[in-house]
Amino acid sequence: MFRYVLLRLLYLIPTVLLVSFFTFAVGFYGPGDPIKVMMKENWNDEKAYQALREKYGFDRPFLVQYADYMVNAAKGDFGRSVLRVMPVRDLMFPALGVTAQLGLLALVSLAVFGIGLGVLAAVKQNTWVDYLIITVSIALQSVPVFVLAPILMIIVVLQLHLMNTPAGWDGILSSKVILPVFLLTGIALLTVVRQTREAVIQARQSDYVRTARAKGLPERLVLWRHILKNALTPVLTTLGLLTGWLLTGSIFIETIFSIPGFGSLYWGALKTRDYPVLIGTTLVVAIIIMLTNLIVDLCYSLLDPRVRVEQ
Amino acid sequence: MATPTVASRLTRLGDRPLRTRSLWSDAWRSLARNRIAVLGLLIVLLVAFIAAFGPLITPYHPDKQDLDNVKALPSWEHWFGTDQLGRDYFSRILAGARTALIVGATVTFLACGLGILLGAAAAFYGGLTDLLVNRALDFALAFPKLLLASFVNAMAKPPFQNTLDWVAAVTGLKALNDTVMADYVVVLGALGLVLWPSYARLIRGQILSLRERDYVIAAQAVGAKPWRIILRHLVPNALGPIIIAITVGFGEAMLLESSLSYLGIGIQPPGSSWGQMISNSLDQWRYSPHLVAVPGLVLALAVLGFNLLGDGLNDALDPQRRR
Repeated sequence: MFRYVLLRLLYLIPTVLLVSFFTFAVGFYGPGDPIKVMMKENWNDEKAYQALREKYGFDRPFLVQYADYMVNAAKGDFGRSVLRVMPVRDLMFPALGVTAQLGLLALVSLAVFGIGLGVLAAVKQNTWVDYLIITVSIALQSVPVFVLAPILMIIVVLQLHLMNTPAGWDGILSSKVILPVFLLTGIALLTVVRQTREAVIQARQSDYVRTARAKGLPERLVLWRHILKNALTPVLTTLGLLTGWLLTGSIFIETIFSIPGFGSLYWGALKTRDYPVLIGTTLVVAIIIMLTNLIVDLCYSLLDPRVRVEQ
Repeated sequence: MATPTVASRLTRLGDRPLRTRSLWSDAWRSLARNRIAVLGLLIVLLVAFIAAFGPLITPYHPDKQDLDNVKALPSWEHWFGTDQLGRDYFSRILAGARTALIVGATVTFLACGLGILLGAAAAFYGGLTDLLVNRALDFALAFPKLLLASFVNAMAKPPFQNTLDWVAAVTGLKALNDTVMADYVVVLGALGLVLWPSYARLIRGQILSLRERDYVIAAQAVGAKPWRIILRHLVPNALGPIIIAITVGFGEAMLLESSLSYLGIGIQPPGSSWGQMISNSLDQWRYSPHLVAVPGLVLALAVLGFNLLGDGLNDALDPQRRR
């Protein structure tokens, strides 16, 4: 097992290099000159321009800059934001903390509702309950977040007067997180519901369930001990693979609800072409996703003895 | 007449082709029985019809402004009201359908073509090709789709626009100065780049697993030519999952285009896109909710149509899951 983990980690290195090289190269050649962005209305001043170029090291060859960037990034230094004059790191990590809390809440809610509804749909297969659950999940996934959010706000705030317009971030215990978490759950609900449903339906037809019923085990225990235990392993790992969805959703949800998280930071950088922030955030997201995929793979082999990896 | 013997039946079977139940007619019947899938199909056809013939039935030009009549509520003259510049919202919705469908179709074509090419190459040649394609897949799948698309879009737009301006200045081609066209090219490229991996992975997996199936090995054993195996066995069996992927991918491409436009980096004005219409009106959701709700619901309905159809096809095209 240890050798396998080490091997997988080594395997990540070329992908990380490719991802970072791409991100850096596109960021390097893509947008306007970052120094000109920094100089704002004084962009004509040739002397100051050269001085700044040297100060920030933009006069060096591309590969040298890339190598330099990667060495610093490995130490946690992602350069400085062009517009907000502060290190990218100090912008990125607090924001990441907020988004991580939001995302974890959404994962818990996804586990509860997604698995619950999926099992219900499977047990009531081909009845109206099943169709209703599937159709609502498809609808929730089809309606884009940036449409669902204002519609929800119109209903909850303007019509039902249940709360004030939720905006900002007061930690996970505040009522302001209810709508964002609901929306994040809605984005990925279909994936979890559908997979749980398939897995449970398949498990219900298997021999060990027939055996359990034949020996007279009550249906409730059959469901808990035999069906769920076998059906939920792949579902639990799917939850881990939803990180990317949650991060994407956070771009929309955080900007709509003014939550100072990773998504807001990314969107702000996108709008203002703050390219050190864009490169840093994109790179960090890619690394987070690669690591979660790895962890999920490892958990899968730990949870399910049938897929223990051959070395 | 005496009942035909088994032997005579068998010879009759050999004499003329039996009317068999083919995979496709079965699938079609199963789809037609699934009411939700038919609903999806109707929505898809409606969107396609609007995109094709919308300009013929629009009451107003989608870009025509009427500044005396801005943010009007829905009425008989303006079915969906007018927007902040007094443009007829119904006409703009119809024009947006054309944008959504053009982007959806082109992106799906690009991504699917690239995916089939690279996925098939990886499966057939194996070795180094497979390794390279897999690395590229790992790379593309390391990013959330929207994030990669928006990043590429934001970064590629300025240099692309500059190049176009430069070419236009040198050659004197006025057509290249069209910013809406430049928007289209960048958006299509970025989305194609983001969406090809799922097709490539699907094709590669399909080919690798089908190649090992008993019926393919049996066909090889009786000496069937490779092209016959490909046409009679591989293509029909691989086509189902690909059709499903294309249907769902089409909806996804439309949704991604709208999301990019919503973020302000997709199709820019004067081109019309549902996502852009939503973001333009989002700050006024309290006062003119219809300006947000109409494009939002239309977009949701269109994507829902593709998803429902895809879900129905998923059941219809898989003989083992047919009810």
